Amino acid sequence: MKFDKPADLEAYRKTIVDEKDPNRSIITICGGTGCIASKCGELIDAFKAELANQGLEDSVSLRITGCHGFCEKGPLVVIYPERIFYPLAKAKDVPRMVTETVIGKKPIEELLYVDPGTGEKIIYEYDVPFYKKQNRIVFANNVEIDPRNIDDYIGLGGYSALAKALTMTPEAVIEEVTRSGIKGRGGAGFPTGIKWGFARKAAGEQKYLICNADEGDPGAYMDRSVLEGNPHSVIEGMIIGAFAIGASEGLAYVRSEYPLAVDNLDIAIDQARESGLLGDNILGSGFNFQLKIYRGAGAFVCGEETALIASIEGKPGEPRQRPPFPAESGLWGCPTNINNVETWANIPHIIAKGADWYASIGTEDSKGSKIFSLVGKINNVGLVEVPIGTPLRTVIFDIGGGIPNGRKFKAVQTGGPSGGCIPEQHLDVPIDYKDLTALGSIMGSGGIIVMDEDTCMVDVAKYFIGFTLDESCGKCTSCREGNARMLEILEDITEGRGTMESLELLDELSTYIKDISLCGLGKTAPNPVLTTLRYFRDEYEAHIKDHACPARVCTELIWFEIDPETCTGCTLCARKCPVDAINGEKKMTHVVDQDICTRCGTCYQVCRFNAVQVLTGGGK
Amino acid sequence: MTEIVEKAGKGVLVIGGGIAGIQSALDLANSGVQVYLIERGSTLGGRMAQLDKTFPTNDCSMCILSPKLVAAARHPKIKLLTMSELIELDGEAGDFQAKVLKVPRSIDESKCVGCGLCIDNCPVMLAPQIDDTVMEPQVQDKEYLDELLGKNSNFANPIVQVMLAVNDKYRYLPKDVLEYLSFKMEMPLSEIYRLATFYKSFSLEMRGTYHVKICMGTACHVRGARRILDRVRTVVDKFGDGIFSIETVNCLGACALGPIIVVNEEVHGHVTNDDVDKTLTGLGNAESTGAEGGVEVSGGGDE
Repeated sequence: MKFDKPADLEAYRKTIVDEKDPNRSIITICGGTGCIASKCGELIDAFKAELANQGLEDSVSLRITGCHGFCEKGPLVVIYPERIFYPLAKAKDVPRMVTETVIGKKPIEELLYVDPGTGEKIIYEYDVPFYKKQNRIVFANNVEIDPRNIDDYIGLGGYSALAKALTMTPEAVIEEVTRSGIKGRGGAGFPTGIKWGFARKAAGEQKYLICNADEGDPGAYMDRSVLEGNPHSVIEGMIIGAFAIGASEGLAYVRSEYPLAVDNLDIAIDQARESGLLGDNILGSGFNFQLKIYRGAGAFVCGEETALIASIEGKPGEPRQRPPFPAESGLWGCPTNINNVETWANIPHIIAKGADWYASIGTEDSKGSKIFSLVGKINNVGLVEVPIGTPLRTVIFDIGGGIPNGRKFKAVQTGGPSGGCIPEQHLDVPIDYKDLTALGSIMGSGGIIVMDEDTCMVDVAKYFIGFTLDESCGKCTSCREGNARMLEILEDITEGRGTMESLELLDELSTYIKDISLCGLGKTAPNPVLTTLRYFRDEYEAHIKDHACPARVCTELIWFEIDPETCTGCTLCARKCPVDAINGEKKMTHVVDQDICTRCGTCYQVCRFNAVQVLTGGGK
Repeated sequence: MTEIVEKAGKGVLVIGGGIAGIQSALDLANSGVQVYLIERGSTLGGRMAQLDKTFPTNDCSMCILSPKLVAAARHPKIKLLTMSELIELDGEAGDFQAKVLKVPRSIDESKCVGCGLCIDNCPVMLAPQIDDTVMEPQVQDKEYLDELLGKNSNFANPIVQVMLAVNDKYRYLPKDVLEYLSFKMEMPLSEIYRLATFYKSFSLEMRGTYHVKICMGTACHVRGARRILDRVRTVVDKFGDGIFSIETVNCLGACALGPIIVVNEEVHGHVTNDDVDKTLTGLGNAESTGAEGGVEVSGGGDE
């Protein structure tokens, strides 16, 4: 179908809604990258076979959706209309799920989710604390939509915001977005409406619109999940933005590590074009907008807008000096507006429900909700969408379910390699652009990496500097050379060669790198070092003064010993040791030969009696 | 044309104003000899001025060349004869007579300051006087590449997109393909190589039959990805070339499963050192014995 006017779209939506049977059984399987990695493919095949087997293909639908966010428990199955929830679903249980739940409408007791806090079994998806305590806007429809079917999106009100925007003036659309108070979700937090205003006012016939989906922060994958699970929301947001700014061409710059996101977005663009929602004369309004995908080639720095533009122009992705800002002179020298995936996906909600509704969520100066990816040493790894201003403690302990294996919380790292580590005493701070900056970290694109007492903070700082050095484009000396020297100092510390003067040198170098570098990558690179120095100085001092790694991570400062009391002489560690460093007869205490041991930790991992101990400090 | 007769006395004529000619002229002039440096082109510099870097130190060639250009032009003992050619040479060592043809420059060299305004305002454009006829390079999959270029022609500059497709198809960027792209897209090969080395998705070396990606994202790092990487390296080193290749990636976005390795497209989550041993050793052994037994190994790793 092709919609020539908004009324056609509304009529079509009405038929979709009318034809929808609220009591129809639908088996929803998460098909996001996380669940694919957890082998949801086998599960889908099993369901298909079982439905065919029982002759239910016509009466029961199978819906493969994008990411539901609860990746820790993948693959996820939700059976409608009751919304019975099966986490960690296995193909062998599929016949029972079909017979007992789809047909029999009863939950299978032993497959249900168990709340680790209370030990209670939870039947329905919406009762699971992980979902219950979130406030999902952008992510709300992921569970309801087959991303490859535009009808699912239209049925839930999709493209109605576009129809509404086309009846407004471009200035009124910008005004609405400005009033909503939404800030760029990519990390810098610049007010989106104001940015659009600049691009609108910039002189030039040809203007471009770019969706930044070069999600590079390690541990952040919300943009990927939105693109994979609900690509039409991003497309709709972009068309509205293009109309407001006066852009006729758009590009979605997607990281090449995200093949599924590229595929789903590609299909969605074709569907939107065939429906008259994209391309020439959109919904009969006379407005034209073309959209295509540009695959990134694997460079973290291309998340920076000027580097991203250089990359599209076929050059190495190196940032350039601003001003001129892309709003004045961007892609091919034309005015260009760049926003992040999540920002674009928020736009249809703002236009459809109004700026006042959006501005009622969040804090005084940051409005709306934000998706965070909660990862690391946490029970419920996954994507969490909460209003901005929600305290870190709520996200980590109430939604995230705390730290696994009874370990103690140590720190939380926000904002990716540009962010910092926040210790326990600041956990009640609301997650907000301003408050996190005050702690020396940033909100960034929304990665929240939780660290427990087994994480070495010096090692974390070293990891991030290593990352930044690896991803630095090399244009600015301060970033290219400064980070290399920082890494050397941190390596010295973690290998027991550090001195107390090193700490002052780190501090000094950080200041230079921050002040001199051109783009955000270099300007924020020292944050992980500065925050760990600020909050975890004792760990640095332990490495330097006692040659000890309190978390027992830094291989040069630790060694393994086998406790004669607990060792049963089962020989497992000796057999698994890759360098034959463990000696001992069967049923006799084993001994680690320290001269041969490479400290790979295999013996520690495999010992079933906890007889292998990790020791550190005081020299050996 | 004017005939200039010069009595050279104890002079030396150097033919060619490239780097060798310039250096010879400077060395001679510095030892007090009067030098005549003749060059067919309109400027000194030659080939070296066209190069980006020089072997073997990778020094910037203009950084070496330009001080010498200035020195040669200013040296009181060097007389520059540009747009000139040697047409006759008589005599013997110690007593030569040279006849040099100098093409008119039609510009008063004593007054010209090299401001470039005349170039901007000249109504006639002439092609540069260099031989730029390049033969179309030979390439194995010409039809595929032409089709790929056609498919991406809606991008203003499709080079990165084309290279991504090539890298996916061959598991690396073959040299002949890059040369063909350089020819077809009229883009210097050096620029294409710059892209190939800047972006992480590209490889200039053929990847193994099993390409192992190890996620080094923060979530995997705090769960011990470093040790997994060490173990992957140890295991892979036991096998010959072409079976395994390793790539570290900064986050695959499947953080719930960390630490993760991906072998070809298959994701292995929550891996331990032991899992790495089992998975990779199994694959490696199957591949090695298969090859020894004369069985054709699938994949493009052995062409």
